Amino acid sequence: MTALPLLTVVTDDVIPPYEQLRRQLAYLISSGALSAGQRLPPLRQLAGDLGLAVGTVARTYRELEAEGLIASRRGGGTRVTSLPAGLADEHRHRQVAEHAVDYVLKARRLGVSDDAIIDAVTRAVGESSPRT
Amino acid sequence: MAVFEDVPAAIRRRTVTWRWSGVVAGVVAAVAATLTGALGRGLLLAAPLFGLFVLAGVLAGELSVPSPAGRTRRAAVAVRRATDYLPRGLTSAVALAAAGLVALLSMTTAMGSADDLGRAGRFLVRQCSAALTEGHGAWAGSFYSVPLGVVVVVGLAGAAIALRQVVRRPRPGDPADLTAADDQLRRRAARTIIGACGVLVAVPLIATSLVTAAGFLSIGCRPAWWTAAAWLLVALLPGWTTVLAWSGLAVLAPQRQASAHAGA
Repeated sequence: MTALPLLTVVTDDVIPPYEQLRRQLAYLISSGALSAGQRLPPLRQLAGDLGLAVGTVARTYRELEAEGLIASRRGGGTRVTSLPAGLADEHRHRQVAEHAVDYVLKARRLGVSDDAIIDAVTRAVGESSPRT
Repeated sequence: MAVFEDVPAAIRRRTVTWRWSGVVAGVVAAVAATLTGALGRGLLLAAPLFGLFVLAGVLAGELSVPSPAGRTRRAAVAVRRATDYLPRGLTSAVALAAAGLVALLSMTTAMGSADDLGRAGRFLVRQCSAALTEGHGAWAGSFYSVPLGVVVVVGLAGAAIALRQVVRRPRPGDPADLTAADDQLRRRAARTIIGACGVLVAVPLIATSLVTAAGFLSIGCRPAWWTAAAWLLVALLPGWTTVLAWSGLAVLAPQRQASAHAGA
């Protein structure tokens, strides 16, 4: 049995819960972990499981819908859409940019310099490059 | 494999306590209805009342599961459906019994007449000839079927609400650790709900079948189809009794079938 994708919300994070959810779901969709046509949990179920207000999850779904990643239909629930190739690339780039912003914010909170932040990224890219 | 004990003990204890409170309150309500209801109405309403209290107990147990409150919370991207938790065989049997009860009560209500004191729908009357009329009571006409129908409809609506809560309530912990065990807890609750519906429907169905068969056969000048219908109702009794026993077991020991399902 394949493990189900999990969503994590940290309530005291600087990023608001709806945005944390939006980023994680957008990543799961763009990476293919959630495939086109797959149904997302109903608002109330997901809100209950995460102890969040229904409006918070509704905002996440609204934003993902506006980005074209999901579509809601009355009676049919909310499903992942199939993105055209160009749009999928655009989403991937946007997510990389968001991850980069996250990383920079967290690193700055540790009090390191911008050079150290860039060095760490360069090293990480070098270390995780596919070997030939 | 699902280990039911993975679900926090306090939550298991709370849901089981609420369920048994519902069963005990249901027995008390059923006994009280039997002792106080006039003209057999109380006896007829006893089983549906028992079912209603069991449903209320299950609903209270499910509502008692707290929402996650820690700073880090996790949820699986998975859709939970009522059909994931319902016991298929028992649900089909109870649905069949409910359809049987609706059909039977519709017929007996349409055929009911007023009794000698003018109480509508309490007698079966047959005009044998211009001069001779035969009658039989008690009959499951509107005098009995209307209050019974109201309680059964309220019970089935309550079951739908309780089942929705079984599906929607939050998981009592990290889904990575206890999805299977929590699903087992939900399956037990769903089985109790369907069992309560089975008791709620099967007891009035058995009682109405007996009263209707006795009413038909007591009329000397009955048409042939009354005789056929009476014996058909009698022939169906073992089936309804099986549904009742199966439902009673689901209410009193829901863990048996739920565990078997999880282990499959």
